[in-house]
Amino acid sequence: MASVVRGVFKAMREKGLGNFIKEIRDEGYLKCLSDGNLLQTKIHNIGATLVGVDKFGNKYYEKLQDTQYGRHRWVEYAEKGRYNASQVPPEWHGWLHHITDHTGDELLMLKPKRYGAEHRENLSGEGEQYIYHSKGHALNPGRRDWTRYQPWQSKDN
Amino acid sequence: MLPAVARGAAKRLLGIRALLRPSPPIAAASASRSFSTALNYHIDSPDNNPDVPWEFSEANKEKVKEILSHYPSNYKQSAVIPLLDLAQQQHGGWLPVAAMNAVAKVIEVAPIRVYEVATFYTMFNRTKVGKYHLLVCGTTPCMIRGSREIEEALLKHLGVKRNEVTKDGLFSVGEMECMGCCVNAPMITVADYSKGSEGYTYNYYEDVTPKRVVEIVEMLRRGETPPVGTQNPDRIRSGPAGGNTTLLREPKPPPCRDLDAC
Amino acid sequence: MGFVLRALRRSKPFLQSQLSRRSPNPTPLRWISSTSALSKPESSAAAEPEPVPAPERPRTPVGGARLHFASPAEAIEVFVDGYPVKIPKGMTVLQACEAAGVDIPRFCYHSRLSIAGNCRMCLVEVEKSPKPVASCAMPALPGMKIKTDTPVAKKAREGVMEFLLMNHPLDCPICDQGGECDLQDQSMAFGADRGRFTETKRSVVDKNLGPLVKTVMTRCIQCTRCVRFATEIAGVQDLGMLGRGSGEEIGTYVEKLMTSELSGNVIDICPVGALTSKPFAFKARNWELKGTESIDITDAVGSNIRIDSRGPEVMRILPRLNEDINEEWISDKTRFCYDGLKRQRLNDPMIRGPDGRFKAVTWRDALAVVAEVAHQVKPEEIVGIAGQLSDAESMIALKDFLNKMGSNNVLCEGNGPSLLADLRPNYLLNSNIAGLEKADVFLLIGTQPRVEAPMVNARIRKTVRATQAKVAYIGPTTDFNYNYDHLGSGPHTLLEIAEGRHPFCSTLLSAKHPAIIVGAGLFQRQDFLALFSAIEAIAKFGKVIKPDWNGLNLLLLNAAQSAALDLGLVSNHNESIPSAKFLYLMGADDINLEKLPDDAFVVYQGHHGDKGVYRANVILPSAAFSEKEGTYENTEGCSQWTVPAVPTVGDARDDWKIVRALSEVAGVCLPYDNIGAVRARIRMVAPNLLSVDERESSTVSVEMKPPFAEKLSLAPFRKAVDNFYMTDSITRASKIMAQCSATLSKK
Repeated sequence: MASVVRGVFKAMREKGLGNFIKEIRDEGYLKCLSDGNLLQTKIHNIGATLVGVDKFGNKYYEKLQDTQYGRHRWVEYAEKGRYNASQVPPEWHGWLHHITDHTGDELLMLKPKRYGAEHRENLSGEGEQYIYHSKGHALNPGRRDWTRYQPWQSKDN
Repeated sequence: MLPAVARGAAKRLLGIRALLRPSPPIAAASASRSFSTALNYHIDSPDNNPDVPWEFSEANKEKVKEILSHYPSNYKQSAVIPLLDLAQQQHGGWLPVAAMNAVAKVIEVAPIRVYEVATFYTMFNRTKVGKYHLLVCGTTPCMIRGSREIEEALLKHLGVKRNEVTKDGLFSVGEMECMGCCVNAPMITVADYSKGSEGYTYNYYEDVTPKRVVEIVEMLRRGETPPVGTQNPDRIRSGPAGGNTTLLREPKPPPCRDLDAC
Repeated sequence: MGFVLRALRRSKPFLQSQLSRRSPNPTPLRWISSTSALSKPESSAAAEPEPVPAPERPRTPVGGARLHFASPAEAIEVFVDGYPVKIPKGMTVLQACEAAGVDIPRFCYHSRLSIAGNCRMCLVEVEKSPKPVASCAMPALPGMKIKTDTPVAKKAREGVMEFLLMNHPLDCPICDQGGECDLQDQSMAFGADRGRFTETKRSVVDKNLGPLVKTVMTRCIQCTRCVRFATEIAGVQDLGMLGRGSGEEIGTYVEKLMTSELSGNVIDICPVGALTSKPFAFKARNWELKGTESIDITDAVGSNIRIDSRGPEVMRILPRLNEDINEEWISDKTRFCYDGLKRQRLNDPMIRGPDGRFKAVTWRDALAVVAEVAHQVKPEEIVGIAGQLSDAESMIALKDFLNKMGSNNVLCEGNGPSLLADLRPNYLLNSNIAGLEKADVFLLIGTQPRVEAPMVNARIRKTVRATQAKVAYIGPTTDFNYNYDHLGSGPHTLLEIAEGRHPFCSTLLSAKHPAIIVGAGLFQRQDFLALFSAIEAIAKFGKVIKPDWNGLNLLLLNAAQSAALDLGLVSNHNESIPSAKFLYLMGADDINLEKLPDDAFVVYQGHHGDKGVYRANVILPSAAFSEKEGTYENTEGCSQWTVPAVPTVGDARDDWKIVRALSEVAGVCLPYDNIGAVRARIRMVAPNLLSVDERESSTVSVEMKPPFAEKLSLAPFRKAVDNFYMTDSITRASKIMAQCSATLSKK
């Protein structure tokens, strides 16, 4: 704990107070007060190795000592408010879930870029446009016409 | 780079279109099939379409009557094969669709029943053939004795493909299956349509060699009739070359059983 | 977990006794026991089942086949898989097996076509025969011992199947026959999972057979069913078997469309996907479809059909077996009119505004307007016309409603000005469609059955082929698909025959079962009564009506006609229409409205925007035959029901319900609220309409006719149907029928 406090003071000294407060806000330390998960992640981060940062800014940490095996890799999301697991891009997914020991950066180098689709976060439940509506639903923009007959139109109309 | 690709693609397309074009389908199909006329459907052409008038000649009308008299009056359709043969001889060796329709009219059946028969038998030619239709036997004994070389020699000499008619309309080369001359293999048959159905001949030339067939073709071109049968001067008909090697004297009669002994 | 299992197994005897004590009638509880328990000798002995007798073979004939013995002496006995079965002499081995309840696989054999024996799939083993026998072509002999499930038979069929699959493409996933394919089904039983054929497969050029039949000839297995169907049933000798060996193919040789009114049936009889329906191609899979057994109303025959639907859509129409009416065929019009059910539909009640435009309104408003106008005119100025597709329920409702309004001018289109509706034999096909097979001389008067009723024509053709029956025809030149004598074109010839001056008279007199078929197109003639009495004179002269045979037939044109005559929808439209002020058209499109006064108010109740709506003031949408329950009587007086297969469109309602609702708004409420009550009302008028699938025999013709005043005009007969493919509002709306009439009908 003492080292933490010492580190804080050190950083304050180096960056100046304004910058320090800005960084605290950006890094989500303020959110920690209301978000226990984030706080715990931040505490975990102390002494851990930063293995890599992906293109979205998510930080991947590893700590091999003093952690339970199987809980030694984790991610700190770049998005501090509405983070969720689908924000991890596929190249980091394998490393994070212990499927492979290659980090995402390595995998990006190893694998040819074959698939064009950019990784997108799963936005289900995040707003009206992302709610699934059935094919005949009035709110579905590509609404299917289920009318299977063609009505008569009088010629004079 | 790009124009080269485009040109290549265009060439390819043209090639495919040339293959798909209906005008020379006979040649395209005959590459894979060995029948005299491989297509099982009719394609209209100026000399072969249902509107071309076609009738038996006066002389042949008598023959038609004669052929029909072989069959009971309610089974006229039995005469379909002899009548088609007659029509083919009259029409210079091949059957246009109008001729088949005429046969159908004579035997009082639907035209399709005649088409069925004409497409079934390979000796009915449904596309134009030469005045001399040369048929090379392609069955195993002849093939072993070199029928492929003979066909090659013929095609090379005449400058045509199989089932194609030479420019002067005199010759065409086809393939026929076993004609029963295996002992004198290889052999070719010459169907001679140059003299109409009266002087129609169908001659076998056996023991031919690539050199000999060319000679035969040239003789035919000159209007001569080469001697039929074996072309090997050492052989007499199907006998062995250079005289008999067996049966040199009168065979012994079989020993008679002594009937009294039993 | 393992412990629990072990404990359970240990306690099994105890538990079992507990359970069995609790229930007096212990259900056999199944225990999962390990193999070690089973391998114990005592337990396995207990578990061994009783020696079961060999399972009794189903003795019921396949497909409900019926056996007719001409005399007991004709019966012979054969043994099928050891079971004796008695069959009539002359049956084939395959039929004997069917009678014994054994289904023999087959491709080329079809019970209604001649025997070809070229697919070899039906091979069976016959004792003392050196080789397997093609059962479809082998007559059964007395005492024959047929074995259908021996290794020899199985091996023979497997060999045949391997040869068939050799050149058959593996395109079941994109084949429309998939799921109802004989080859697919039988290859499940006899096909190998791999082939030994390593060459390239044969491919065949597809043929163009017209807008109805799609061909993928590479799939063809050369069963020649289609060739035999075209030659024998349809009577168009266009198809044939061309080439030989592996180059063999079905085709027409010269470019030709299949111009038969029965061509759609080759789709059904093709055992593989070589001939499939062109309009149905890639639309649906057959297992997605719901089949509804209904009847066809595009002509007066009432062919039995199955309407296959998916959701709210009719996807296709197939024939249903009915030996008495359509056997197993249907006409192309019946089969392919279904897309007319989806086009030009009336889905909202509409009123023509003062500007001459139609506006969609609610039922309440539309009915109120109609009722108001109906009360403003004089009762005798109200006229109702039932259309050719109307069912009996709606016609009785219409008649009751207009009668309550005080009018008696209710008629059905197609029924002419003067008709003999008093006696049913005067307007029915009295010898029945199936009975026509007995006839030996046909006299067709003013009818072209090939376009008016293709199924009747198929029956006549069958008779002509089987018994060389003679056909004579009086009417305009037309084409038949059998031999016929064209006697003349008008009443002149009719008179000659009636007076015995015509050479045909001797043929008629020498016939045992002469059949006269009169076309309903003659109903439109002013002199129909005179004409009919001339025909009756011929019938009397030719002894056409005998105690056991009534050969005087009328061939009706429309599905509604005979029911309308039964229900008494008879009035003269020449008299009623010029004086009409309120015209109620119930699906009537082919009525001539030229003489209608300009100020007449026209209500059109129907399902299609066809000819009738253009003169209408109010449109009331109703359900089509695929969407409602209705009674239809066919031309032989046999009533049948349609069954709703799909929901109706938009705001449309059943015809009789609309009339019933209108009657209530108009203040003359009809006393029925459901279809049962309507039928109870029909029972009072025409009870025969309710006896479904029955034909009331009508050999007795009572000769009590009012004297007629018209003179026979000598104008020649005209064709009743100009375009076979477009005869009613449904077929006129159909795109497929439009294509057919553009390409197939003769110019």
